[in-house]
Amino acid sequence: MDRLEEQMRPSDSSTTMLVLAWLWVGIPLAWGVAVTIQNALKLFE
Amino acid sequence: MAFFDRANSIAKPGFNRWLVPPAALCIHLCIGEAYAFSVFTKPMAQAIGVTAPLSGVDWSVPQLGWIFSLAIAILGLSAAFGGKWVERAGPRAAMFFAASCFSLGLIVAALGVNWHLLGLVYLGYGVIGGCGLGIGYISPVSTLIKWFPDRPGLATGTAIMGFGGGALIGAPLSVLLMKHFANANGTGVAQTMAVLAVLYFIWMCVGSVIVRLPPDGWRPTGYVPPTASQAMITNKNVVLESALRTPQFYLLWAVLCLNVTAGIGVLGQASLMIQEMFGVTAIAAAGFVGLLSIFNMGGRIFWASLSDFIGRKMTYAIFFILGAVLYFLVPTFGHMHALALFVLAFLVILSMYGGGFATIPAYLRDLYGTVNVGAIHGALLTAWSVAGVAGPVLVNYIREYQIDHGVAKADAYSITMYIMAALLVVGLLCNLAVRPVHERHHLEEQPVTT
Repeated sequence: MDRLEEQMRPSDSSTTMLVLAWLWVGIPLAWGVAVTIQNALKLFE
Repeated sequence: MAFFDRANSIAKPGFNRWLVPPAALCIHLCIGEAYAFSVFTKPMAQAIGVTAPLSGVDWSVPQLGWIFSLAIAILGLSAAFGGKWVERAGPRAAMFFAASCFSLGLIVAALGVNWHLLGLVYLGYGVIGGCGLGIGYISPVSTLIKWFPDRPGLATGTAIMGFGGGALIGAPLSVLLMKHFANANGTGVAQTMAVLAVLYFIWMCVGSVIVRLPPDGWRPTGYVPPTASQAMITNKNVVLESALRTPQFYLLWAVLCLNVTAGIGVLGQASLMIQEMFGVTAIAAAGFVGLLSIFNMGGRIFWASLSDFIGRKMTYAIFFILGAVLYFLVPTFGHMHALALFVLAFLVILSMYGGGFATIPAYLRDLYGTVNVGAIHGALLTAWSVAGVAGPVLVNYIREYQIDHGVAKADAYSITMYIMAALLVVGLLCNLAVRPVHERHHLEEQPVTT
């Protein structure tokens, strides 16, 4: 089991991939949240 | 097609398990667009008239309302009947299937809008797209639970948060595209749907490529699986057929159904409700709906993560007790004209609505183990289909009934709120009745629990 854990230790290339993958989903989501908050602020105007 | 084989999606050395949540989000952020379908309602209702509905020719709003209801009903059915296949085929094939169905559904619906054939829109978005919703919804769940045995609530909460967040992207993106394609001859709905189909297909396929299954016997560094079952968390496994014979399945079905019924009815009527109770403008009401969507999304990750620490049963107990109290107080906030308290109450209620969806897979994993959790989760989602019809019908018809009997519009929601509170009390009783699954249902030959 320890050997399997050792093998599955994340590599450097997978860290780059990780950053790209989170940006792939994070950027559109952040845009959607920003637009929604902008519209929501009208509730308090 | 070997690329899609389950065996070829097993992680190689060096794989980072934190790649699986964004893979799941690729699917859920896309299929979550279903919550934004209402942005198409008005333009579709004047597809022929363009600037205004053409009486007797254009589709009516109730006719269009069935598209979303049909999609949610098919979501539940396809998740229920496709769950076993998803477990067998693996997440990569399931995600690709979901991407194909969801995008093909949008293309068929776009053709239906273009040729003004409502049946084709029902078939496309409702039936074909609904299959994509159901298979897509459950496809990453059991994989995430296997990668995160130490934090199953956080893992499933992250993915299912995407379904809540999909509307936050889908709604403004659809509005932008419709603005771009609209002209004197059309509202741009068909072109928008076609573009969305292509974008969502690419986005979902990325998730399908990234996702991996853990190798047999893998567990996170430092994680020691419990050697004996704890009070509400088993280290045994129960297959779908056995799970369907346990009372716990039906209690959790009721728990999910009642929690969703209470939230979904309000979600559909939120804009109208705040306008009628407080006299705010339609633009401000749209802002309120946007805030609800953010809390619906945020609640999914917040409550599911919290459930890793306080337990699933306690988390649902909070949903039902706090939810019932808040629903009971909402009419009072209306009479007091306390807009801020009214908004705050619904933000908390909607966070718990989302939290209910996100916490249920981990609750199932606690009771039934990991082997068939995806299939059991799929079967449980039929509760969503029922709630998706019952919630809006309950709110709409009670409101209509009260207005027809002379109740002022501002007061027409009071009884509905009290009924919602009562439903949540019933949900609390069902949740309190949940006990660990009897050992006669456990698999005799125990597969390795990751």
